[in-house]
Order: sequence, then C-alpha cells, then structure tokens
Amino acid sequence: MATPRTARQKEVRRHLLVYAGLTPFLVIAVFPIYWMVITAFKQEPDLYRMENIPFWFNMAPTLKNFNILFYQTNYGSWIVNTMTIATWVAIITLLTAVPAGYALARLRLPGAENIGIAIFMTYLVPGIILFLPLSRVVATLGLQDSWWALVLVYPTFTVPFCTWLMMGFFKTVPMEMEEAARVDGCGQLGAFIRVVLPVSVPGVLTAVIFAFTLSMQDFLYGLAFVSPGDQKPVPVGVPTELIRGDVYFWGSLMGAALLVGLPVAILYNFFLDRFIQGITGGVVK
Amino acid sequence: MWWQSHSAQRKTFGYTLLAPAALYVLLLVGAPFLFSLWLAVSDANVGDPVAHFVGLENFRAAWEMDTFWIAFRNSVVFLVVAAIFKGLLGTSLAFLLLQNFRGKKLIRGLVVIPFTLPIAISVLSWKWMYDSQFSVINWVLSRAGLIGSYGSESWPVWLGQPHLALAACIAVNVWRTFPFSAIVLLAGFTAIPLEVLDAAKVDGCTFFQRFRHIVTPMIFPILMIGFLFDTVFTLSDLSVVYLLTQGGPANASKILPVLAYQIGIQAGNLGRGAAIALFLVPLLLPALILVLRNIKRREW
Amino acid sequence: MSVSQPALTPSTVSRRRFLTVAGAGVTTSALLTMLDARQAPAQIKGTTLRILQWSHFIPAYDAWFDNKFVKDWGDKNGVKVRVDHIPHLELPARMAAEFAAGAGHDIIMNGSSILTRLYYKSLADVSDIYDSIGKKRGGWIPTAKPLVEVEGKQYGIPMFYILLPMLYRKDLFDANNLKAPDTWELARVAARTLKPKGHPTGIQFSQCADANLNWRSVLFSFGGAETDPSGENILIDSKETREALRFAKALFDEGMTPEVFSWDDASDNRFLASGVGCWIHDAISAYRTTEDTNPDVFKNTHIGMEPAGPGGKRVSTSAANVYMIWKFSKNQPAAKEFLVHFMEEFKDGMVQSRGYNMPYLLGDAQKPMPIIGSDPKMQILQDFPKIVAFYGYPGPFTTPVQEVVNLFVLPDMFTRVARGQSVDDVMKWGVGEYQRIFSKHKRA
Repeated sequence: MATPRTARQKEVRRHLLVYAGLTPFLVIAVFPIYWMVITAFKQEPDLYRMENIPFWFNMAPTLKNFNILFYQTNYGSWIVNTMTIATWVAIITLLTAVPAGYALARLRLPGAENIGIAIFMTYLVPGIILFLPLSRVVATLGLQDSWWALVLVYPTFTVPFCTWLMMGFFKTVPMEMEEAARVDGCGQLGAFIRVVLPVSVPGVLTAVIFAFTLSMQDFLYGLAFVSPGDQKPVPVGVPTELIRGDVYFWGSLMGAALLVGLPVAILYNFFLDRFIQGITGGVVK
Repeated sequence: MWWQSHSAQRKTFGYTLLAPAALYVLLLVGAPFLFSLWLAVSDANVGDPVAHFVGLENFRAAWEMDTFWIAFRNSVVFLVVAAIFKGLLGTSLAFLLLQNFRGKKLIRGLVVIPFTLPIAISVLSWKWMYDSQFSVINWVLSRAGLIGSYGSESWPVWLGQPHLALAACIAVNVWRTFPFSAIVLLAGFTAIPLEVLDAAKVDGCTFFQRFRHIVTPMIFPILMIGFLFDTVFTLSDLSVVYLLTQGGPANASKILPVLAYQIGIQAGNLGRGAAIALFLVPLLLPALILVLRNIKRREW
Repeated sequence: MSVSQPALTPSTVSRRRFLTVAGAGVTTSALLTMLDARQAPAQIKGTTLRILQWSHFIPAYDAWFDNKFVKDWGDKNGVKVRVDHIPHLELPARMAAEFAAGAGHDIIMNGSSILTRLYYKSLADVSDIYDSIGKKRGGWIPTAKPLVEVEGKQYGIPMFYILLPMLYRKDLFDANNLKAPDTWELARVAARTLKPKGHPTGIQFSQCADANLNWRSVLFSFGGAETDPSGENILIDSKETREALRFAKALFDEGMTPEVFSWDDASDNRFLASGVGCWIHDAISAYRTTEDTNPDVFKNTHIGMEPAGPGGKRVSTSAANVYMIWKFSKNQPAAKEFLVHFMEEFKDGMVQSRGYNMPYLLGDAQKPMPIIGSDPKMQILQDFPKIVAFYGYPGPFTTPVQEVVNLFVLPDMFTRVARGQSVDDVMKWGVGEYQRIFSKHKRA
C-alpha cells in the first residue's frame, strides 16, 4: 500500500494507531471492572460453579446484592461519610498545601529547603505505628468514634505530597510573570493570587483530586478511630459487614466498590479534561 | 524601617503561608515520629504502659530472623519491578491520553477507575480473580489453550506458587497506580509553555530533540516528585499483600510492612514491629535528601 | 423495677454510700447478692455501655444481638447499650489503638488471637463473675481458664468457641465404598481414591487462621504437643511431630492439588460449595454456605467427628472467643452485669447462631444442645466439647505462643514439607523458630 498521501488517510492511520495503543490499557484497566459489574448483579450460587462463564449471567441477574447493601448494611451512611470526609480533607489540603508550596518554591526563605525535606520525611513513618499515638490525640480531642477524627488525621498524608506537588508546579511559573505583576503594584499576596494561581489551576486541581482520592483509600486509621456502624467510611464498613468470618458476600462487595468508585472516576474525567485542554499540542506533534 | 524592608516582608509573608502546613505536619506527625523512634529502641508491648530502653536490641533481633531478610528482599524487588512497569505504562498512557480522538472522554474516564476504587475492595476483587478454583484469568487462558485445565500441572495457582505470589501482588499494585503515574506526567506536561515549544519547532527541532532538551528538563521536578512519593507509598503499603496473601505462601510474598504489622500489632511486640517498619528509613533518608535537594536547586 | 431495701441501719447506709462512692468498683459480696436476687444494682441505671465485637458470619445473629438481645437487657436495666462491629482479624489493631488512647469501649472481644497476657494490666479483674457464672452453669471446661487467667486471676470471660469438624461428601464416599473419615488414615485413603475421580481434598497450606487451627488438630491428634502444661517448655521437637509432618506430605501428594498453597480461610468453603471437594476440615460456616449456594451438594454433605490419629487420640483445635472489660471503662458494673446475663442466656446465642457458637460452660454443653441436638447431621458436634483444645496445647495460650501463631510458624512447617523439604530440615527450622521466639520473650 502506498504511503498515505491525503490528510484524511493520515488521520485515519493516526486514529488506528492510538486505538491500538490504548487497547491493552483498556483491557488491563477495564476488564476487572467489567467483571466486578457483572458479579454485582449475579446470584450467589452462580459464582460457585466452575462450569459457569464468569463474564455473563448463567442464572438470572438480580438486584439482591444491592438490596443487601442498602437495606441490611449501613452502606448509605458509609458513602455519605466517605464523600464528606474526602471533601473536607481536600479543602484542608488546599488551604495548607497550596500556600506552603508557593512559599517553598518562590520565596527564598531561609531554612525552606530543610523544612521542605522534613515535611517529605513524614512519609517514612509507617501508618502502622503512627496510628497508636494518633489514637491518643484523637481521644483527647474527643473525636474518637466520629468520622471527624479522620478529617483531622487524613491531611497528614495528603498535605506533604500536595505541598511538594504544588512546589513543582509553582517552579514552572516564569519569574517574569510575577515580577511584572509586582512592578504593576500588586503586593506579594496580590501577585500570588492574581497572577500565579490562575496559571497553576491544573496543578491545584491535581492536588485537590489526589487529596480526595487518597482520603478514600485509607483502611487502618478508619479502623482504629471509628467503630460505630454509621460513622465508618466505605473502606472500613465494607469489610466489616460484608466479610463475616470466612464468608464473603461477593456480589455486595463488588456493588459497594463500584458505587463509590464510579462517581469519582467521572469527577476525574472532568478534571482531566480541564488540564489536558491546557496542554500544548506541541508536546506530542 | 528594617521590618518594612522588602526582604523582611517577603519572609514574613512566606512563613505565614508555610505555617499551617508545617504546623499541621509537625504536630500530628512529628511527635508521633519521635514516638515511633522511641518504640524502636524500647521493649514496648501493646498492652504495657511501661517500656524500657533496650538500645539496638530490636534491630539485632530483626537481623537474626531469616524471615526479615526475605521480607527485605521482597520489598526491594517489589519496589523496583513495580516502578519499572509503572514508569513504562504510565508514560505510554500519558502520551496516548494527550491525543485527540473520538471517544477520548469515555476512555479517559475508564482508564482512571482502578485508581479511584478504594484499595480494600479492589484488592479483594483481585483475590477472587486469582482464586485457585474460580480465577477468571485462568478461565480465559485455559479456554484459549494457553494453559491446562483445572487440576493440571499448568494451571497457575497465582497466590499459591512462590514466584507467582509476589508477581501477582506487584501486578495489582501496578494496575492500581499506573493511572496515577500517567496523571502526574500529564500534569507535568501542562507546565510547559507553548511559546518555548513553538520557538523550538520554528528553529527546526525534531520531536525527539524537543522532548529531550525541552520537555524532559521541564517536567523533571514533577516526575521526580511523583516517582519519590510513589516509592515511599509502595514501600510502606501493606494493603495489597496483606489482603491477597498475608505474606504467604511460606513468606514468598512477605514484605516489610506486613511483617512489621504482624509482629508489632497482631503479636503485640511493638518495639520489634517499629524497628522492622523503620528499618528502611536510614537507607532511604540519604538518597531522598540528595534527590530532593537536587530538585530544589533547579531553576530556569 | 425496685431493689429490695434492707432496713436502713447505720451499717447498711454506710455500705450503700460506699458502693455509690466507689463508682466503678462493686464489692464482690454485694454483686453476688444482687446476682442471686436477679436484679440489677441501682448504680447502673441511666448509664451507657459500649461493646465491640466481630461481625458474626450469620448476619441474623448480629441483627438479633444488636437489636433484640442487648436492647431487651438494656431496657430492663435502664442501660443504653451500643454494639459496634469490626472485622475479627483486625480486633488486635483496634485493641492496641484503644489502649494507646486510654479510651474506647467497655467490653471488647478477642477472637482467635486471645491477648489476655498482653493486656491484663489494663483489663478489669473479673474473677468474681468468672467463678459465679461457673458455679451456676455447671462449671467451665478445663481449657477455658488458661485463656483468661494470669497469676491466679481471671481477666476475661470465655464466650464461645468455634469448632472445625470434618465435612465430607457421603455420596462420594458411599459410591466408592469408603468408610467415613473417622481416622486421619481413612481420610487419606478417601482422598487418594477420590482425587483421580476429580474430587480431591484440601487443607490450607498457607498463612491463615484456619491453617493454624487445622494443622494443630492433626499434630495433637497424632500425639504431638506445643508446650507443656506450665507453658514454659516447648514440646514441638518430638517424633509425633515428625509423623504428623510425614502424614501431611503424603496426604498432599496423594489427595490434594497445589492450589492449597494459595488458600485462605474462605477457600475451603468455596471448594466444598463448588462440589469438587470430597472432604474438608472446617467450621460449619462452610456447611451453611453450601446450604445456601449449592443445595444438591449440601444434601450429601455430612459432618464427621474429629479424626483420630494413629494412637486413637482425637483433639480438635478450636478458635476461642473471649469478652474482656477495659480497666479504663467508666461502667464496669454494667459490663459485668451484662456478661453475666449473656452467659446465662447462652443457649439463645446458640440458637441464633444456627449451632455455630459452642459453649464453654458444661451446663450448656449437655445434650441435647440447641439446634445441633435436634439436627441429625449435626448431632455429632455434641461430642466435641470433650476433645477441644486451643493454641499452646496442652499448655496455656501465652505471649510467645501468640507470636508463634501470628507468624504462622506451624503452617509454614507443614507447607515446607509439602513443598518437598525434608522433614529433618523442616524440624530444624521450625523448632529453631519456636526456640528463638520463646527465648526472646524470656529475655524481655
């Protein structure tokens, strides 16, 4: 076949290449999700037969697992808790990490280097040890067994990372822009808010969304600090009530994961759109 | 007035901005960090209010356990292999996501899902997918003729065969986090100003030249940060292995955080658990400080 | 509800004031008097009680416990009770957190990992109610006390234990002229016969709780032991242990597939429910799962006695569950009252758990037992209380034994042998591990 001449042929070839490249990723990422979706609607005996096809229904699909999820467990509360906690943590992270990142990146503060490194070092302390002294803090503040304990504690692992992330972003903002703003009469704060931040929106969004996601992942702190059924976040509630001894309620487990993960994925999609739009086409042409 | 000088103003402003984050972290993590250092050199048990200083005894005890060295080796292997795959897959995915094509919104959304599902539950799904009897993966491979049928020698028992067990855990970790790597990369790409690239194009640089000389240095800080954090997260993450194999079979997939948890919390010997958990710190610390200093020094 | 008031003589008044002022502490004699009268002490009215326990594998049990049993008692005694649940394998972590915080629940449960010896300094001394409950209900089984006793005092109340009997497919056995697996040798023969026909057996050769329990049953039935009755000396280095290891290797080679190396606590449940397994050694949760998901297989699944070892000995290692009261609890009287009530109404719990909860009190172990006494297939379970044992057998469940259990040393020994390591090498490694752990705890 002759080399593609027309622009149209070029386009088609490019499309095909991209789809071909994406297919393995889609398969890897999506295949387990697809299986989870099917399982969430399967009847339990359907799962336990070796002859059955895992990818489709061998017995009629059912809503029973979701019934169990919503009527026999506290799932509704868990979702609300998880989302609320994640939102609060995202806000706290935003308010602490963004200014801190800017200060460390731009303001040439003495000792900033060491403070920055110290903040990073907190990740070296494993959560499996940290949760013990933190239990004491939580109890002293009267937050034991309330999801507010998690709002207090989760920023300990979102803030360091987001601070560094913002630092990385702010470093890429040209100094000239800030200097120009200051020459124009903005103070330090003005330059930051009116010039630097708008340009760094992708970075801020990234930080927010990471903070949000990281807060949805934790299991150990949730387990240690929150025990009442209606205060738990999803990662703690689900194993508590859907794994009983050595009996797993697979259908409901899958349903639980999907109902909390899919909305967040949609959120991601929305954000990704925003900052991919800002990316120069020049990078990849 | 000296305190009205530009420099003093800048510093005050700076420290004010930095204060919330620094205080938060130092209070809630700094003090517990010192506490865990104390634990590592004491004979603390979970239920005992009183603990005594024992020097490096806990570390010595860890050295003597051959399980410890197995866990150490597994942790390193896990980290390196996972990092390689995440780097490769993340980069490829980032490039692909940048492309303009039909259906890109949907596909972007789908590809990100592994990262958004709570670990505790998504890992459980993998547990079933790796199941010795009902594994979906085996079902597909077996129907495709690539492996034997159930019960035969070539039916992989993902979580039961020593080499496969660790690989299976690594695979789940990679599956979960490569979207994260891709996003960090994408975020990095956004930082590159259009003008610089256009100027380079006008000057006649090829794609690869542009990538090497312009793009890479500019995204380097963000890349490094992503890589470092991923390293630290991976080394201290116990959920994947804990939920899939508990470190089995016979310690084939045991990694340091799991061992630390089993000894420190489940068996109650806090001192030794802390020593094991903190073991990697003196090794990582110098490396991390070097890299971080390096990042900070890069100016345009 | 009134407490009968003795005539108000000065001594009575001062004793009442003492009791009120003492708050958390209630004198033993006063408590016993009140127990006899079956009326709650006035102090606990209007208080709150918080209990932490696992999620029972039967959701209906939790629904009954949380919403009916506890509520009824609470209403009757004027106590507000709240029950919280967490996954049972994570109870140690939560316990550590509550201890570190110095605050949490009043009653906390330990399942499988009984941490009495780790926490006893922070647990309430419940020797008084331990004795009184025992007296009222025919005494405790002998293996109950070592679970909760430290230096002569009891720091917990054993609530129930979980049996792991034999669950076997009678149809497959009958079709192949196999005798019921009453001894381990018969079990092995059955597996050997049925594996080629697509029905192997399986016991976990992995790091999970069931592996710790199952292999100890094999070991103890073969005459082996973990520690001596004092708990100080390790008895694992014996010819019986070697025999048990050799048996396990043979059983694996002849009757199992390599999948057992990946099994966790739930895998054998699935194995049985799928119709493939010819027998498993597991708790009746597997029996119930099969009942719910595969009625055909369930029809043919029978429960068998713990198999005997070559010497005719039968020992069934069971998973213990114990209730404890924190010393920092602000409501110890209510907690004690509740535990007494729970143990007295234990039969209700047995019914609600569909026969799963096995009693520590001899009074409750008398035949016919609820549920299992009336179900023909389950009747055999009534003979288990005589042969039940816990980790450390015949010694008590001490802290070094706890660590041995948490590090899965014994399952690892059996796994290595099955994988092909020589029995001598495995013994050297395993005994070495035991010694290392025990000597470490002696040093501390």
